Amino acid sequence: MRAKYVILALLILIPSFVNLGVPIYNREYPELIGLPFFYWFQTLWLVASAGFYLAFTHIKGKEQ
Amino acid sequence: MIGLDVTIVFVSLFLVFIFLGFYGKYWRRGNLNHVHEWSLAGRKLGTTLVFFLIGADLYTAYSFVAIPSGIFAKGSLYFFAIPYVMLTFAVALVTMPRLWTLSRERGYITASDFVKDRFGSKTLAIMIAVTGIVAELPYIALQIVGMQSVLTVMLAGSVNSQAVQEISLLIAFVALAAFTYTSGLRGATLTAVFKDILIWITVIVVIIAVPISIGGFGNAFKQVNQSYVTLPDSLVPAYATLVLGSALALYLYPHAINGVLSAESAKKLRKSTALLPLYGVGLAILALMGILVYGVPEAMNFLSGFPESTRGILVVPSLILFTMPGWFSGIALLGIFVGGLVPAAIMAMAQANLLTRNIIKEIKPSLSNNSEIRITKISSTIFKFIALGFVFTVPATYAISLQLLGGVLIAQILPAVFFGLYVKSLRKLPLIIGLLVGIGSGIYMIAAANNFGPLSSSLFKTYFGPLYIAVIALAFNLAIAFGGSAILNKSATSQKKNQ
Repeated sequence: MRAKYVILALLILIPSFVNLGVPIYNREYPELIGLPFFYWFQTLWLVASAGFYLAFTHIKGKEQ
Repeated sequence: MIGLDVTIVFVSLFLVFIFLGFYGKYWRRGNLNHVHEWSLAGRKLGTTLVFFLIGADLYTAYSFVAIPSGIFAKGSLYFFAIPYVMLTFAVALVTMPRLWTLSRERGYITASDFVKDRFGSKTLAIMIAVTGIVAELPYIALQIVGMQSVLTVMLAGSVNSQAVQEISLLIAFVALAAFTYTSGLRGATLTAVFKDILIWITVIVVIIAVPISIGGFGNAFKQVNQSYVTLPDSLVPAYATLVLGSALALYLYPHAINGVLSAESAKKLRKSTALLPLYGVGLAILALMGILVYGVPEAMNFLSGFPESTRGILVVPSLILFTMPGWFSGIALLGIFVGGLVPAAIMAMAQANLLTRNIIKEIKPSLSNNSEIRITKISSTIFKFIALGFVFTVPATYAISLQLLGGVLIAQILPAVFFGLYVKSLRKLPLIIGLLVGIGSGIYMIAAANNFGPLSSSLFKTYFGPLYIAVIALAFNLAIAFGGSAILNKSATSQKKNQ
């Protein structure tokens, strides 16, 4: 049971850590189709965080 | 001057919008004389509809106007809106299903209902309701500024443009008030879906067509300086605290909670919340328009005809008008126009619930169900027109800065609402004092940061660099709420021992 709560917590904490860790993505290169890293990384990270959150919802959903 | 095709498409789609608003009354019929039927659509919305409805809270004029405008004027700092929306759904996933479950069990309609029941304090509940109503007003005003920006661009160069603009806004608001009065949240939900379809078509087409027509994103980035390409190091603390503070605040706004409580089940709520970051992709595209516009000389030339302070809010509609065919501009501009109208309806509805249930009913508990729903409907209409009057009398840039203040205020109800859901040790008196200190210090810092003049910044210079004021004020507030509760609980247990 404890392992499940650790996983649930990580699924919320990992995307949050990246979002608040500005120096992780505050750079110009590599560019993607002319967009600086700063912009394209954060935009694609939206899709990744939806993945984290869906996994959270899925694990949480089984419990009820 | 715009072509006739733009106007025809714009007006016909607006008529469809109004029709949907009224049709909402017949959609999933319920007795609209019950508060939860009128303002929560009978708590029957599934994953998809909650997705659209809460998406409507996100995709407001804030995304069409304030963010692209900020990026256009100041650069990359304003891209904070993207990690902010990601983080806010993490906050929501942890807090909202619990609030939903308690509300279903105990019949809460507002956050203030929960606080009153949880802490047994009328004072705290009323303070939370007042904070919600006040913080929401400039948010509605911002929606109207967004609608105004569309009309300004459409009417540029025509005679009497100011008068035509004000009359158009008035007509739009009368129609909005009429259908929210009759259909409640059902009307808002249907129009939210319609609005989102238009907006998605717009962002997808713009993000493909504009970079191609200007020869790639790179060409737009060549026109701007380095502070548009990456974030200057000095602004990193500002960026991170703007992300944190805004993410914590969004789900405290009355309209967001209203959307949450209309979900059919906690599971469906979780699922739609988990998917909502995808919505942010559209927001990111809109934000990028603040830079793309630098690559479109016709649009820049058009914008230079306006005073510098108002150029920003016109960025998105001008970019669309100067890069897209007329009929498509009509679709996109209407999408932005109703993109302000739908959230305004939901916000005014949430304000009305707070006013009626948590203020008027507290003062006059004998209020009957019928009077409650009538006062709710009427006050939701009044709130819309207060916001409209506000926009007609003060400059647009002022509405945006007051919205910054709204964010600082609403964040201060966090200890009672979010921590109240999970932390048993919190006590009402420290929460009340914390709220007051949070609001007082927040207002002081905002005034000081702007040298006690017109508001343009929500950042306060500290030892750690400039930080978002909402976060600093919330830190004071939390310290008092938790510290005070710990002292009270300790003295309560030692008294018990002595007895």
